[in-house]
This record gives sequence, structure tokens and C-alpha cells, in this order.
Amino acid sequence: MKQNYIYVPAPVNEFRCRVPLKNAVQQFIVNGKVQGSNHPFNLELKDNEVMDNLLQLIGVRNSDYIDQLSCAESFKFGKYSVGNILHCSHSFSLDRFVTNENIDIFLDEGASVDYIVMQNEHNKADHNTVFNINLSQNSSLRMVFLSLHGGVISNTINVNMNGEHSECTLGGLYLTDSKQLMNNSIDLNHFKPDCKSYQLFKGILDDYGVTRFYGRINVAPGAQKTEAYQANHNLLISDNAKAYSKPQLEIYADDVKCSHGATVGRLNEMELFYMRTRGISAAEARLLQQMAFAYEVLAMISNEELRTRMQSLVEKRLKGEFAHCKNCSKNCC
Amino acid sequence: MLTITNLHASIGDKEILKGINLSVNAGEVHAIMGPNGSGKSTLSAVLAGRENYVVTEGEVKFEGNNLLELSPEERSWAGIFLGFQYPIEIPGVSNVNFIKAAVNEHRKQKGLPALNGAEFLKLMRERMAYVEMDSSFSSRGVNVGFSGGEKKRNEIFQMAMLEPKLAILDETDSGLDVDALRIVATGVNKMKRPDNATIVITHYQRLLDYIVPDVIHVLYKGRIIKTAGKELAIEIEKRGYDWLINE
Repeated sequence: MKQNYIYVPAPVNEFRCRVPLKNAVQQFIVNGKVQGSNHPFNLELKDNEVMDNLLQLIGVRNSDYIDQLSCAESFKFGKYSVGNILHCSHSFSLDRFVTNENIDIFLDEGASVDYIVMQNEHNKADHNTVFNINLSQNSSLRMVFLSLHGGVISNTINVNMNGEHSECTLGGLYLTDSKQLMNNSIDLNHFKPDCKSYQLFKGILDDYGVTRFYGRINVAPGAQKTEAYQANHNLLISDNAKAYSKPQLEIYADDVKCSHGATVGRLNEMELFYMRTRGISAAEARLLQQMAFAYEVLAMISNEELRTRMQSLVEKRLKGEFAHCKNCSKNCC
Repeated sequence: MLTITNLHASIGDKEILKGINLSVNAGEVHAIMGPNGSGKSTLSAVLAGRENYVVTEGEVKFEGNNLLELSPEERSWAGIFLGFQYPIEIPGVSNVNFIKAAVNEHRKQKGLPALNGAEFLKLMRERMAYVEMDSSFSSRGVNVGFSGGEKKRNEIFQMAMLEPKLAILDETDSGLDVDALRIVATGVNKMKRPDNATIVITHYQRLLDYIVPDVIHVLYKGRIIKTAGKELAIEIEKRGYDWLINE
């Protein structure tokens, strides 16, 4: 994966998406404010409201005037509403730049939401995001966190399942090289019975990359018939990369199905040899293995066009190229 | 085509091949037989370039070039194919992407352009038919969840796609029922040409009923102790290896 490009920032006022996704509505959030305004981004879907299009939020930040930023966004999905969000996060800067971001997500009864987070930032970006997620009964949330590039990326994900029969799926893919650091810290609380949660976080680490996964599932007293699964798998490409993993289960109910697991491993040598005997070069074979490893998380993105787009970004990233969209040379996604 | 001279190979500090001499010409089918642990699979792994094995002595020439200094992929490009005794499962890499990467890399090495989607699918369908493979296999992960017979058919399918000059089939018959054996052997025979050669490694005479060898070698304790015509297989089937070892 070893990167062989230099991050060249483009000024925010020139920035626009040149290859928009079909049926997507774009909204820029510049330095934490809705573009052209002075207020943060808030979304509220009314009861029964269905988003026909994908809302692509493009958060861009630069350090021309500031070196630190705190911002917040909130999302409220009304009863039986359907939401579809892609939240991109980019930094246009070469300087050290700290962002503290707070994102509140509330799903009312029966709401169903797909929310993809894509983080592609520069090597000195220090981005801490706290996601506070509250799920009401019968609601369903599917989130995928793709951390492609960045200096220090920390996602703190707090999920409270406050109503019965709610479902939460969390997927994560983090890719590090040079001295990048990526953390995912998940605290998932099953407060009510009959809820399901499923977590899959995977990382590919090259050079001196360091990642931390901390995942806690808490099943509260009385939260019977809970199903909660968690897995964290890490692939080390170099001898110097480090992956820390700390899965935790706390169960205070006696009729539940829960599991957790974590692995840290290397590319399979026999697979590699097998591919090479077929004439696939060692470099290409390693890329195929890494793509296969990443695919399990990418497959969690239900929007096919978006999944294909993300897949090609991940592939570029793993090849050591800048992860930008086809036909676009701007330094975003 | 292939000339092996006094080949010695070890894994760790254990010497497994202790001076193999073998010569294979274009158009020939050679069978290598021998009891368990005689070095048959080691020989195929050394020829394919498995890095765990260290060649301590001797040389292997393939079409006049030193094979041992080539990487596994370079050997593949040169025209060597190893059919694995235990084909490797690669979850997440689909059969079609796998074989497409392999075929296009071979073409690139020959200075040919990559096949477009339609051309590739046509070729793939044609070659899958050689081993009666269902098209549903193409989208599945490489060998993942395949039965023993399906894995071996997949090996022969890959061989048909890559059209090697020299195919080394390591116990391709192990774990096959009679029908699968016939299908696999038919596939191999379909590819036989005057300009290519096959080395079949097997325990049993059964496979040699279908893939008829020109020469049979018996390998024992890292050396070839007997070389004869195809009638030797029948004798081994009747009398076992003991009489050969005692000779």
C-alpha cells in the first residue's frame, strides 16, 4: 500500500464534485458550517418521510485561517422515515489541523437509515468524531465507516438501543500507512429486549501504521433475546505496523446470543504461492488478497453504485495511489 | 523440454530429493509413482518454485533455461503449470477475477492486449465445458466450498485457460470418484498436443487407464529407482512397490 503520491490541497472555493453519483444531492459543509451560511448542518426527516435521493454531505476543512475546529451535525429521523446518507470528510491543508466533531443521530420508531461515512484526509489531519446514536423501537440503522487516509482518525461510536426490536449494523474498514493512526471505539448498549446488533471492523496496516479497536457490547438487565455480534480483523502488511484490539462483552441478561472475536494476521502465504503459480505477479496477488479482505465490509454498502465507487477508491488506496474518483483529479474522493 | 539433472532438495535440514534425473520431451506423458513420503509432491513443489524448499545440488533446465532462478510467476509465464494435490481456497477472490488476472498477465508477458469482457467470457465458457463445470462456479470464491472433485476440475479448467507447455499434475486423482476421474482425465487429454507435455504424479494405476503415459518412473526415498513403459503400472497395481524396492 505504501503511498507514492503527495497530498496537494485545492482551495475550498474551487472545490466541487466533478463526478457526482447518480440520484445524489450534494451539500457542502465548509469548516463545520453549511456552505454560504453561518450555521451548522442539521437534518430532520418528518414522520413517514422517505428520502428518494442519496444525500451526499461533503465536509471540507482547511487551515488557511484556523488550526483547530469544533463542529457538530445532527440528524433526526422521524417515525417510519427512510434516510440515505453519504458523509464524506476531507481536509484541504498540509498543516496540522485538529477537528473535534460531534454527530447526533436519532431514529424514531420504525425509521430505517443507511449512513456511510467516508474519511479521506491529509497526513496531518487530526480528526476526532463522536457519534451519539439513539435507536427507538423497530428502527433499523446500517452504518459503514471507511477510513481511507488521515493523520489521526478517531471515531467514537456510542449506540443506545432504547426500543424493542431495533437493529443496528456497523461496518468499518480502516487503511493505514506511513505513521497514520486510526482508532475506532464502540460502546453499544442493548437496553431493551429483542434487539439485534452486528459489528464488523477490519483494518489493513502498512508501514508504521497503528490502529486501535475498542468495542464494548453491554446487554442491560432485562434485555432478553438480544442478539449481538462483534468481530475485528486486522491484516498487517509490514513488520512495523501495530494493531491493538480489545473486544468486550458485558452481559446482564440470561437469554441472549452474543459473540465477539478479534484477529491480527498476515497475508496467507499458500494463497500467495497458489496465485503466483498461475502467473499472477506477487504484487497483484497481494492486492487481490487485500481487496478480498476489504470486500466483506464494502459488501455492507447496499447502494450498488456507491459500493462500486468505494471499492475503486479502496483499490487505488491499496495500490498506493491517491484515492480519487475516476475522471476527477481533485483531492477529495 | 525439461531436463532435471542430479536434483537435491531439502526442507529445513531434511533432505528429501537425493539426486533426481529426469528428461521430458514435447509430446510425452510421464507418470511418477511411488509410495507415500518418497518425494513426489516435493518434486512438483520444487519445479513450481515453492520457496520453503531449498535446492542444494543439481539443475533443472526448461527449454534450455535455468528454471531454478525464476520466480513462481515467471515459471508460469514460461509455460509451467502445477495442478495442486490440495488446491488452495481463496475466500473473497472470485474464480472469474482470479483466472482473468492470470490470463491477462500471461498475455501481457507475451505482448498481447488484455482480452475484453466478451472475448474472455467466451473463452472461459468454452474451457469450462472441457471439465463439465457449471458457469455458477465463476462467481464463487476460488475453491471456496468446492467438493474435492470440483476443486480438481477447477485445476484442470485453469490449466485449459493458461495452455501450459508443461503441466505437472500432483495427485489430481486423489479424492475423485470414477465419474470425476473420467471428466478430469478427458479434460487433460483434450489439451494434449505434440508441442506440450504432462507429468502425472499418482499413487494408483487407475488414473493411468485414462491418461496413458509413455514412461513411468518410480520414486523412492528421493531417487528414481525404476523407469519403464506403461505396463509397469499394472505390475505395481498387482505386486505393490516392495519388489521394486528390494531390487
